Amino acid sequence: MELITWITVVVIAIVLLAWYLTYSASRLDRLHAKVEGALAALDAQVVRRAESALELGTSGLLDPASSLLLVDAASQSLETASHRDGDHVLNIRGFAGREAVESDVTAALAAALPPESLAELRMRGGDHAGELLGRIEAAGLRVQIARRFHNQAVTDVQRVRRKRTVRAFRLAGHAPMPETVEFDDALPFAA
Amino acid sequence: MRIGIVCPYAFDVPGGVQYHVRDLAEYFIGQGHDVQVLAPADDDAPVPDYLTSCGRAVPVRYNGSVARLTFGPVTSSRAARWLEQGDFDVIHIHEPVTPSVSVLTLWAAEAPVVATFHTSNLRSRAMQAAYPLLRPSLEKITGRIAVSEAARRTVTSHLGGDAVVIPNGVCVEDFEHASPRATWQGTADAPTLAFLGRIDEPRKGLPVLSAAMEEVLRVRPGTRVLIAGPGDVAAAGERMSPRVREASTFLGLVSDEDKASLLASVDAYIAPHTGGESFGIVLVEAMAAGAPVVASDLAAFSAVLDGTANGRLFTNEDSSACAAAILELLDDDKERARLRVAGLQRARQYDWSVVAGRIMAVYETVTHAADVAATVDEPGLWARFVRPRPRQDGGEQQWS
Repeated sequence: MELITWITVVVIAIVLLAWYLTYSASRLDRLHAKVEGALAALDAQVVRRAESALELGTSGLLDPASSLLLVDAASQSLETASHRDGDHVLNIRGFAGREAVESDVTAALAAALPPESLAELRMRGGDHAGELLGRIEAAGLRVQIARRFHNQAVTDVQRVRRKRTVRAFRLAGHAPMPETVEFDDALPFAA
Repeated sequence: MRIGIVCPYAFDVPGGVQYHVRDLAEYFIGQGHDVQVLAPADDDAPVPDYLTSCGRAVPVRYNGSVARLTFGPVTSSRAARWLEQGDFDVIHIHEPVTPSVSVLTLWAAEAPVVATFHTSNLRSRAMQAAYPLLRPSLEKITGRIAVSEAARRTVTSHLGGDAVVIPNGVCVEDFEHASPRATWQGTADAPTLAFLGRIDEPRKGLPVLSAAMEEVLRVRPGTRVLIAGPGDVAAAGERMSPRVREASTFLGLVSDEDKASLLASVDAYIAPHTGGESFGIVLVEAMAAGAPVVASDLAAFSAVLDGTANGRLFTNEDSSACAAAILELLDDDKERARLRVAGLQRARQYDWSVVAGRIMAVYETVTHAADVAATVDEPGLWARFVRPRPRQDGGEQQWS
């Protein structure tokens, strides 16, 4: 074969490889951005849930013991959340250490709002109680949704980053491997 | 919110996904959202004004049954134009793995995507072969919805990852206020049972019910079965014994109003389906109309009925168990009265007001996530190559 043919083949191969790497890199970049977005959404919903739980706890609608329990768990959650705001919301390792706190909020809500007392609470508290419970339910539902979508995005990133080319060419750069967020987010009462 | 919904199946042909898309679109329009639907339809067929046709559907064999789908360059360019003109906040794609306008839209979509998986019986061979090809576009889906636990398991095992379960919706009010019709109402001596579904599709369980009727008629000779659903009546009648045929009335394909009236009239609705049901919307409709439900113990049915709290279950494909369940229920007036009340309560959980609220929660989560993702600053591709991008925040962005 002539030299020129060889050069052409090599050039084409390099162009193809470059295209593939660019494509993979931008795909991975998109996935990383998706994880960050999903985490921010989860963060926002978790905070909203804690805020409504705090409001219920301080509303005087519940007995003092339940109120105390709820206020404690909710303020713990809000405190941990605000600590993080000092950094940047988009820290990809963001949720570390908050899982236990959020499980506690779920448990506190379940303890403070057992199904048999709900109807009574609605009756006693009227519209205000109805609105508060509605907000807690809506936030709880959104926490579930956001957490699932986040974990979905994380598994996508993890799968792509396991690929050989991605590892060999270090396409992920120094981005830390995102991790799924696991905590108990069962709704306090049936929707 | 500007919402674009994509339905892969021909809109002018009846079907579960189509009804779901139609009701969802109309519910959100009623709430003041801007909703557009993209689906195949005949170009000259009358369509609602929120619908854009992506071309004419052709019947193709896919995943074990014949579906009316569209694809090809015309569909592709119409989908791209629809996306561009719609400028949607969120795109909601149904059945994103059917070879249809759903896949094409997903391919071209730039806005955040929500996808709903309806089917619970994907065949894995096709999936495994096509996956490497579909992967990158499936990664665009920010929010996955499955209509039932069964559908969710399918998603998990074929695609990996997870999905949020949001059931299909029913307009409970339409069924709750349906007026019973005297000719369909049973008496103490001649109770009436209802069956709904294609009569020539064994999966819908008419053979099971026919066999069970032999025994039911021995104990209660006056019992009548009202059978509503399309199919060849003569052939279906021939598969029954003369006695059962005599006790059966074939109503053919009935309108939505007639269906509601039928369910409101009968002493029990029988769902003898033998498989392939992902959700069981008819059960919810029956409960909303106040019909006590006797159903085969498919996972989907048992989930809708919440075990035996809101209906009776019998062993799948066991006609004598079916007969026993029917006879027990017909003997027990109190239980039927209880089921009518409990069923309506249960059905309310599937009302559109509840279901659409959950879907809206998904839209909001997804758009929020997309807004944040968009602000993550993009280094140029070249910068990405020469220096890997640091993710630690707060530090200087060294490449700029």
